[in-house]
Amino acid sequence: MDLETLSYPFLFIALFFESFILVTLLSKPARAARARMPSDETLSVAVIVPCYNEASTVAATCESLLALDYPKEKLEIILVDDGSTDATPAAMARFAGNPQVQIIRKENGGKHTALNVGIAATKADIFGCLDADSFVDPDALREIIPCFKDPRVMAATAAMSVHQPKTFIQHMQNAEYIFGITLRHTLASVNGLYVTPGPFSFYRRSVIDELGGFRHGHQTEDMEMALRIQQAGYHIENAPRARVYTKAPRTIPKLIKQRTRWTTGFLRNILGEYRCLIGNSCNSALGMVVLPTALIAVVSSILLFSVAIFTLVKNVISALEIRAGIPVSYAFLPHSTFDWFFFPSNFYILLGATVLISSVSLIAIGKRISRTPGNIILGLFSYLFLYGFVVPFWLLRATADVTFGKHRSWR
Amino acid sequence: MSLVARNALISLLITIVLAGTVVYTINYLNQVRIAELGRIEDQLAIDTLSLDTQFSLLEAAPCDSSASSTTLTNELTDLGDRLSYTENQLGSDNAQVIRLKEQYSLLEIRDFLITNRIAAACGTKPVTILYFYSNTGDCNECDKAGYALSYLHNTYPTLRVYSFDYNLDLGALKTFLAVMKVKGPLPAFVVNGKHLYGFSSLADLEKIFPKGALATSTAASSKP
Repeated sequence: MDLETLSYPFLFIALFFESFILVTLLSKPARAARARMPSDETLSVAVIVPCYNEASTVAATCESLLALDYPKEKLEIILVDDGSTDATPAAMARFAGNPQVQIIRKENGGKHTALNVGIAATKADIFGCLDADSFVDPDALREIIPCFKDPRVMAATAAMSVHQPKTFIQHMQNAEYIFGITLRHTLASVNGLYVTPGPFSFYRRSVIDELGGFRHGHQTEDMEMALRIQQAGYHIENAPRARVYTKAPRTIPKLIKQRTRWTTGFLRNILGEYRCLIGNSCNSALGMVVLPTALIAVVSSILLFSVAIFTLVKNVISALEIRAGIPVSYAFLPHSTFDWFFFPSNFYILLGATVLISSVSLIAIGKRISRTPGNIILGLFSYLFLYGFVVPFWLLRATADVTFGKHRSWR
Repeated sequence: MSLVARNALISLLITIVLAGTVVYTINYLNQVRIAELGRIEDQLAIDTLSLDTQFSLLEAAPCDSSASSTTLTNELTDLGDRLSYTENQLGSDNAQVIRLKEQYSLLEIRDFLITNRIAAACGTKPVTILYFYSNTGDCNECDKAGYALSYLHNTYPTLRVYSFDYNLDLGALKTFLAVMKVKGPLPAFVVNGKHLYGFSSLADLEKIFPKGALATSTAASSKP
């Protein structure tokens, strides 16, 4: 079976998933979520900032929290130093006199332990997490709070994008994050979220009392918590205009390392303790659409990439063999003008182009829904031409790690 | 029906419609290509017949018609490229492709014959290559040979290359093969009557060219 034929079912599934997102985006619950206004209601809120060697960013993170448009007496900021070995304690110390800020130092034990220490130190109705390399817009919290009007909602997520993208790789991630805004907003409307990301996700205190605190969760404590909430039958909401900006890896090796951790965590959680959620008709969006599609995406990306590499190498060898003995000036330089007749128009290219156009549309929609500032052109360009070539690397690495039981360090 | 089930059903229908549209578009484009090939072949057939008729009408060979014949050969090469691409798109067992290839082969044979008649009457010495290939998997060197011929034609514009699918079930082609005494193995070349079987390198092919008979594109274009 050739590459093209092999790709058809996967392209069909990708197109189906994007169609599902677009259809759900137009459905009543998503429209209602978009129409939701920022709340004047002010619950007591604590934001926990777990830090491990974040000296360069933690102060700015804390400053952005202090600038939130929220009554100071109802907003508590808990900086938890998880045994940093750099200047993080000194960076935190400048907030020591602020009545809103509580600083806690502890032995290094991992992010989940830092979060649990923070939870234990507050009595707030709602608490959130903000990674120490992330920054929030002033109205972000007021956008989050209305999500908790529904008593079934136990957690709410924000709209993430990349903080001041500079490198080509960061622009690519920015487009991907904004794509994620559309996905998160849409899937939340049918309770299909399986991760409450570190940057500015909030939880009802009662859910922690009932389900317990954060766990290691295979280095993805945010995903494990979200899956536990889903397993318990509760809802996870999304506030598409609660903008939060996070630092993204600057280079491909760092990106691959980060995403390997995420993907490994996803696979270990989903194929392990939370396997029962797959195909679960009680939560049909998550069980019948989102999780199966996510798993198929992992398998198909690896499969198609492997076949593509094999085919590419085979074609390159074949092309070199055919051109052997022919002068380089003819063999490796273009010597024909554009002619529509020779324009490639097979099922693979046209269906792939349809999937890409849908992706670009979803990115544009995400930017519009979240009102994320900044130009996305470079992000779209890098996303379209680079993302597909990088993703298989971390998927392959993560799958190999899960298969062979290999565990890597966080950083 | 739940919202998720309803949306999934609508999405499935949308996906089927999109995939169907893609299939329809591809089919439509291929039909447009076939029609384009048919149109070119019809025009070439008329031009070839016109040249043939003109040749027959005049007692003395219309030697200035050799220019027309050259033009036809270039158009034949262009048609061959398009036909080859369409064959890759639709498959070599496609009925329309086979029909077009048969017409193309007939045109090539006619052009070859006219070229030889003009050469004999006008004393010109064109270099013609008859190239016989197979795409049924029994010719490992055919791709390489085809590419080398493309290079030669690009480098020597006066070179006349005629490509034939050895396995095409066409009476005229079988007779042509018998007349030209071409058997196998493939690829097979007939350069101005000299036979060469198999292909190892461009140099081997060039060895059987008449000496000094070819002009490079640079030399040709520098002529007034």
